[in-house]
Amino acid sequence: MKKREKTRIRLIVNGEPYEVEVEPHKTLLEVLRDDLNLTGTKGSCGVGECGTCTVLVDGKPMLSCLTLAITVRDRNITTIEGLAKDSKLHILQKIFLEKGAVQCGFCTPSMLLTAKALLDENPNPTRQEVIDYLSGVLCRCTGYVKIVDAVLAAAEEIRRRGSEYAEE
Amino acid sequence: MQRSEELRWVGKYIPPLKMEGIPKVTGAAKYTIDVKLPGMLIGKVLRSPYPHAKIKRIDTSKAEKLPGVKAVITFKDIPKVKYTSSFRDLPMATSRRLQPPDQYVLTDKARYVGDPVAAVSAVDAETAEEALKLIEVEYEPLPAVFTIDDALKPDAPQIHDHAKGNIAAQVKYPFAAGDVEKAFQEADVVVEDTFMTLRQVGAHLEPQCVTALVEPTGKVKIWSPNQLPFPCRREIAKIFGLPESMVEIITPFVGGSFGTRLSMYNEPIAVALAMKTPGRPVKIEYTKEEDFSNLETRTASRITVKMGFKKDGTLIAMQMKVLTWAGAYAARAYLAGPIALMWGMGHYRCPNRDGECTVVYTNTTPAGAMRGYGNVAASCAVEQVMDEAAEKLGIDPVELRLKNLKRPGDDSNLGPCPIESTYEDECIKIGAERIGWWEKRKLKKAEGPRRRGLGMAAMMHCSGAWPLLIEHSNAIIKFNEDGTVNLIINPAFPGTHIWTTLAQIAAEELGIKPEDVRIVTGSTDVAMFDLGSHASRSTYVTGNAVLEAAREAKWQLLERAAKMLGVTPEELDVKDSRVFLKADPSKGLTVEEVARNTIWNLEGEAQNISGKASWSSKYCSPPTAAYFVEVEVDTETGEVKVLKVVVVVDCGRVINPNAVEGQIHGGIAQGIGYALCEDFVINQKTGAVESNNYNLYRIPTTVDMPKDIEVIFINKPDPKGPFGAKGVGEPALVGIPAAIANAIYDAVGIRIKDFPITPEKILKALKEKQSA
Repeated sequence: MKKREKTRIRLIVNGEPYEVEVEPHKTLLEVLRDDLNLTGTKGSCGVGECGTCTVLVDGKPMLSCLTLAITVRDRNITTIEGLAKDSKLHILQKIFLEKGAVQCGFCTPSMLLTAKALLDENPNPTRQEVIDYLSGVLCRCTGYVKIVDAVLAAAEEIRRRGSEYAEE
Repeated sequence: MQRSEELRWVGKYIPPLKMEGIPKVTGAAKYTIDVKLPGMLIGKVLRSPYPHAKIKRIDTSKAEKLPGVKAVITFKDIPKVKYTSSFRDLPMATSRRLQPPDQYVLTDKARYVGDPVAAVSAVDAETAEEALKLIEVEYEPLPAVFTIDDALKPDAPQIHDHAKGNIAAQVKYPFAAGDVEKAFQEADVVVEDTFMTLRQVGAHLEPQCVTALVEPTGKVKIWSPNQLPFPCRREIAKIFGLPESMVEIITPFVGGSFGTRLSMYNEPIAVALAMKTPGRPVKIEYTKEEDFSNLETRTASRITVKMGFKKDGTLIAMQMKVLTWAGAYAARAYLAGPIALMWGMGHYRCPNRDGECTVVYTNTTPAGAMRGYGNVAASCAVEQVMDEAAEKLGIDPVELRLKNLKRPGDDSNLGPCPIESTYEDECIKIGAERIGWWEKRKLKKAEGPRRRGLGMAAMMHCSGAWPLLIEHSNAIIKFNEDGTVNLIINPAFPGTHIWTTLAQIAAEELGIKPEDVRIVTGSTDVAMFDLGSHASRSTYVTGNAVLEAAREAKWQLLERAAKMLGVTPEELDVKDSRVFLKADPSKGLTVEEVARNTIWNLEGEAQNISGKASWSSKYCSPPTAAYFVEVEVDTETGEVKVLKVVVVVDCGRVINPNAVEGQIHGGIAQGIGYALCEDFVINQKTGAVESNNYNLYRIPTTVDMPKDIEVIFINKPDPKGPFGAKGVGEPALVGIPAAIANAIYDAVGIRIKDFPITPEKILKALKEKQSA
């Protein structure tokens, strides 16, 4: 076990500041999961191919397995744990369940966050725009049909309600 | 059997139970990779860089001295017990043929690139990895074989001492009938063709991860994604010489299974390491490269099918020869190869049939199970030969299939047990209608570089593998005083909404809400035996156990309510969480009132209402399906686009259409991947798996899915399924690759006989066709 140099950085995750000591080579994925115990973010391929580790940095999807934690100090990071607010589900979360867009659930955090980034950018996407935007996130269970359906239905409901959050 | 309109929960399009769904969308669900325990060590595996080599010397002393290393183990430290990753004693009913063990936890002779030769545990991953580099191994490389043909050559190197000529198994089709040679002579048309099927990779997103802990009492706890927790417990107990009750398999949420996780991988290695550090758990998480290179793939076979027909299309003779490409250990290929014979020859009525299967060892990653195993391979061969025969006979492929289908009462595909229900004919007719078969197949093909074609395949599968395997499940239901129940089961965790489906079955019978059924699962200590999640069995087999347990609990509930109301139980029924008099529904009690009165009974008549049931399946209720696809082949690039897919499924009464549609969609995606883009590539020089991550093994993404997908359910109840349900997990995918291959033939007149059907192969075949 070697002693390794560590740097103290501040990460703002789901609105909360965390002071952490990290080794410079640690990825954001490792720091979220191992140091902050935020295990909702999953890892899979480790080479930026599957999209499973996607989190939002300042609202934009980013692959946390390819991002060094020290490069996102002081920036706003959203993980799946931060998608629901005050125990109210985000409408995407609610509709993913209603439409059957979740099977094993392992890609679900990254699908939901990527879909949120899309709807923040483009509240009224076409089916093709949803397909294109989600093309970097792999799912082996669902065949994507219900995921795309759910994103479109959620977009409509958010527009209709003027709120991103489901009622209790 | 109840009519659909009488059912309150079965057949309803409902989202997953809160406990099955909410954790997954909020990040709270704990998967195997999320297991984190006090004092946990990280384990890593040292793997052979050679496809075939003896280990002459192995020195672990330097690794052991590295600070932070807690244990280093090699073949010298593991029990001298041979096992098999796919379990020695799966309860084989028909043949009683148990799988011979052929591997050790760690080997002294490597048989494929990646074969585990040593393992370490350390305080963190970096230290464990460093320790691996300090293990000195001197190998004596041996000649290696990677293909069936090379392995069968007379001078081929012997991979196992017990398997002469590298033959792991040779099996005759167990249900041979009639006189095949005579029947071929009497046939008007005989068609024969050979296909190489695909070693598809499960490619589930969650890496294989196991944590093992040896408690101070000697009890071994294993957090594992295995789909068959009870057989897994038994195999671990046998390897380590423990009673089964001293091993507990804990199943967290699992990030995809698809059959890959029917076998054990790092389970025994983690246990062997954990035994060196009692009280300190050891976690081994594979990298994705380790997953792609070491987890069992779908078993591929070279299948020759010969079919003889009378002029009118009646199938009178059939023969299959299956050469199965096993890897370095027989693993599940041992069963997956032979079972292809049963699927292939058991699908259609045929009085004269025989066949054989030879399972061949090679110095490659072990081959095993994936969704629909054996049946996808059989379908790829038989369903294409059916189309070839249809062309020769001048009969439409749809008509040819309709003519030869099995009917209820015929023997099932898995052996002598009558089929309870099949609506395959309706599947085919409706599918043909929906895709516009009769109009589009007649159209003259458009000129130009892009050609469209239609193809189809039909399928029969199983709801649990009886009569091949003993299909045994149990369920316990106990009432809580608040009127809810705990349903204690252990069908592993396949991610198919099975908790919700089983809760719907229990809720329907008990007259309560599915949300009031709390699932207790995930431990072999807590639940009674369940064979696990395979062979599209959970809804049918575990579902029947749940239904029986619910019947018993319901009777106890009505008995207590009858006492409280001063009537007989026969006069009562329960619905919407209320027990009522059938003659006067305004009189009654809530379920909660009855449950509370039984548990907190101050008159001394206390009782906990409960039900339990064992279900050992004795029936064959095979799901059937028809798949229709329309493709567009670009003759300039060789690219195939799947434009439309129609899948019509007869899976009995659909318990939850939301869940079942999801199964079909996922099966379509995996079927498209199988047919067109997924390719398991072994470097023919080094023996290493080249397609070792998602960039080199392409699975379909959102953009690869057809825009037009239609899923149709026949939705007619089966006499033996719970509320009429049959299995559906595997049928989702089985016929898709053959249907795509048949559509490509319809479009451009070529058949690619080894999967996947890549643009390169299409261009080459088109060129050959032109020059011919």
